[in-house]
Amino acid sequence: MSTGASPLLPHVSGRRRRTDKIMRGLLAAATVIALIPLVLIIYYLLYKGLKAWSGSFFSTDPNGNFFGDPGGVRSAIFGTLEIVGLATLISIPIGIAVALYLTEYGKDHWFASVVRYFVDVMTGVPSIVFGLFIYIVLVVSHTGGSGFAGWKGALALALLMLPIVIRSAEVVLLLVPNSLREAALALGAPRWRVVWRVVLPTARPGLITGSLLAVARGMGETAPLLFTVSLAFGLTGNLNSQMNTLPVQIFTDITNPRNVIVTRAWGAALTLVALVLILNLVARLIARRSRMA
Amino acid sequence: MIPPETTSKESDAKMSTAEGRSEQTDATPDRAALGARQGKGHSVLVKDLHAYYGQVHAVKGIDINFSPGEVTAIIGPSGCGKSTMVRCINRMHEEIPGARSEGEVKLDTLDVYDAGVDITAVRRLIGMVFQKPNPFPTMSIFDNVAAGLRLTGSRGDNLRERVHKALRAVGLWGEVKNRLSSAGGGLSGGQQQRLCIARTIAVEPEVILMDEPCSALDPVATLKVEELIDELKQRYTIVIVTHNMQQAGRVADSTVFMLDGEVIEHAPTEKLFTTPDDERTERYVTGKFG
Amino acid sequence: MVQETRHQFREDLKELERQALGGLDIVIQQLDRAMESISYQDVELAGMVVADDDRIDGRYLEVHQGILSLLARQAPVATDLRIVAALLHTIRCVERMGDQCVNIAKLVPLSGYEAPKDKGILDAIERMGQLARSQVGQAKDAFATRNVELARDLVRQDAEINRLNREIFRSAVEVGDDVDVREWAMFMILVARCLERVGDNTVDIAEQTVFVVTGLFRELADASTPSGSPTPLNG
Repeated sequence: MSTGASPLLPHVSGRRRRTDKIMRGLLAAATVIALIPLVLIIYYLLYKGLKAWSGSFFSTDPNGNFFGDPGGVRSAIFGTLEIVGLATLISIPIGIAVALYLTEYGKDHWFASVVRYFVDVMTGVPSIVFGLFIYIVLVVSHTGGSGFAGWKGALALALLMLPIVIRSAEVVLLLVPNSLREAALALGAPRWRVVWRVVLPTARPGLITGSLLAVARGMGETAPLLFTVSLAFGLTGNLNSQMNTLPVQIFTDITNPRNVIVTRAWGAALTLVALVLILNLVARLIARRSRMA
Repeated sequence: MIPPETTSKESDAKMSTAEGRSEQTDATPDRAALGARQGKGHSVLVKDLHAYYGQVHAVKGIDINFSPGEVTAIIGPSGCGKSTMVRCINRMHEEIPGARSEGEVKLDTLDVYDAGVDITAVRRLIGMVFQKPNPFPTMSIFDNVAAGLRLTGSRGDNLRERVHKALRAVGLWGEVKNRLSSAGGGLSGGQQQRLCIARTIAVEPEVILMDEPCSALDPVATLKVEELIDELKQRYTIVIVTHNMQQAGRVADSTVFMLDGEVIEHAPTEKLFTTPDDERTERYVTGKFG
Repeated sequence: MVQETRHQFREDLKELERQALGGLDIVIQQLDRAMESISYQDVELAGMVVADDDRIDGRYLEVHQGILSLLARQAPVATDLRIVAALLHTIRCVERMGDQCVNIAKLVPLSGYEAPKDKGILDAIERMGQLARSQVGQAKDAFATRNVELARDLVRQDAEINRLNREIFRSAVEVGDDVDVREWAMFMILVARCLERVGDNTVDIAEQTVFVVTGLFRELADASTPSGSPTPLNG
């Protein structure tokens, strides 16, 4: 350290240096504390779940008899994919459409503010409420000729995912510079073309990322599925019947007295996390590719 | 209703001779690619124009006659309403929430504020270039220039020719002809602005409005755009808003001085800068007030 | 409220005008001395006039450079531009007037070392000198105060100088048979010519004054131009 301090460039005082070090230490400690549970979770998942992973884990249904081989979680995986897939098909187009209304067409209207308010409220609603809602409206009344059904679960999940899609899509759409809209309008384009050919393509990467995150969220919800889809063991493609899903499978298995089945539950949990992780990575890759383009 | 614009008939003939020309003219605006003016050109007559942002009365009863085939500059201090006024001409002003305007803006004999008028048709005839170059980032250079044609649903197989012609007309052809499919955002500021101008003229408007088109550009790019404006006036009627008086001097045939939402003086540029009639114009151009 | 912007520019422009108009003061000095040397056949004084022309030339270069600098750096417009153009024109007039004074001074030793020969002609010459002197002063005032009436009045006075010029010519023609006197009278014709030129230059300066104020360039009607009709340069 040079001793060339002058009135113009005084040295940093010892007290400031100490305070700096203390703050850094505190922040590092907080980070570590926050990371510990996360690391523990991942560790446990891997430790307990990897044991269950095997070829048959992914290729057989949990139809196993009481004493023998319990089977895998194939039907659960397929069920999750089918139900979440349907929920995605419902929530994303509608969600983006609502976001477009909020940003492009309804900017000034009082109605848009009302919609925005309700969307905000919906993001805070506990997921079980969505399940109960669909239960009362669709399940109890046996709408569609069935009690519990896959498509009803998909609806519940869609309701859950909708506000997330709307919120993130709105943010992304607002990020599209207004100068682009102006340029397109000034060329003589009708507004819907401006939206379709300029705004949406520009916002596309962000919209995809936002949607994938909503999907990841939807994949992990248990409560709505409990009340709308219930449980099934066999693999079925019939969305109008009870189906198996990963969250419900985990829920059911984890309290089983047989260790082998508990292990299977961990394996299912790990699978679920893995699926969510893959979705997240895909979202990130898309975001990075679009930034570099 | 404003009748559809006629397309230039010599595009094909000019295309073949232009493409056979040598490379050295590729960087300069190609007058042949501009095409001929339709008739005497189109005048724009603004009559008793008022514009509001909510309660704020930004433009207070303006009357201006923009002569066909000329460049008219609008100068004035910040907030005097020059951009607002210009945006009323192609009805972009009303896109701002809470904004409205009233009065008459006549393109030749047709009032763009008439009840049954199709706004998109107005904007096809009156093009606009903005202060900050705004090429569409997701589109290639070619697609950017073609955007105007595609966005307005114009049909036609001569899309490629019209795009090439527009790029030639702005003097960008030589610089981009080998990378027409690369992203529109990968050009320098001056090139981007010329790309935006190409996009505007590809639609073949009759009038071009420019809102401080060189403010965001460096001096060399500015001069290139000014040179381009000089070429463009052979074909279009041009209105340019500028806060740079020297630019008005270099580029404009006649100049309008605005203050607080009103037109103070409208005169041939030379006269406005050597012997202005109004005391306020004199004070503004000599810098006695900002 | 008028803000004081471009302060340095205004100062520079004022200074430039002061220098250009100051040249007219030097011209008056030179004129006085030249006339005195004519009246008293003072060859030494005439030599001083010739030498001092350097001051006028120097002033011309200063103002010229100042104008170029102002044009390059400040891009003056409107009234400022007209002032700058007028100053350029005016300083040239100053230089020409200086040259006329030198011409007068150079005639002194040539016209002989004895006293002047004809009182009538001498009186007329002295009268011309006084008029020229007052015109230069008036031109300076008119420009400095931007007084268009004062500027136009110079034409009236200049008519008198032109009349005296013609009178001297006639007198010289009729001056008699004495060779020395005739020779002296011829030189006086030349002096009168120089003074008449000085007068014309002051009218030029007057025209510039009108240009600065009105933006119109009109040749002020005077007795020497037969048509005397205004030729507007723009209008």
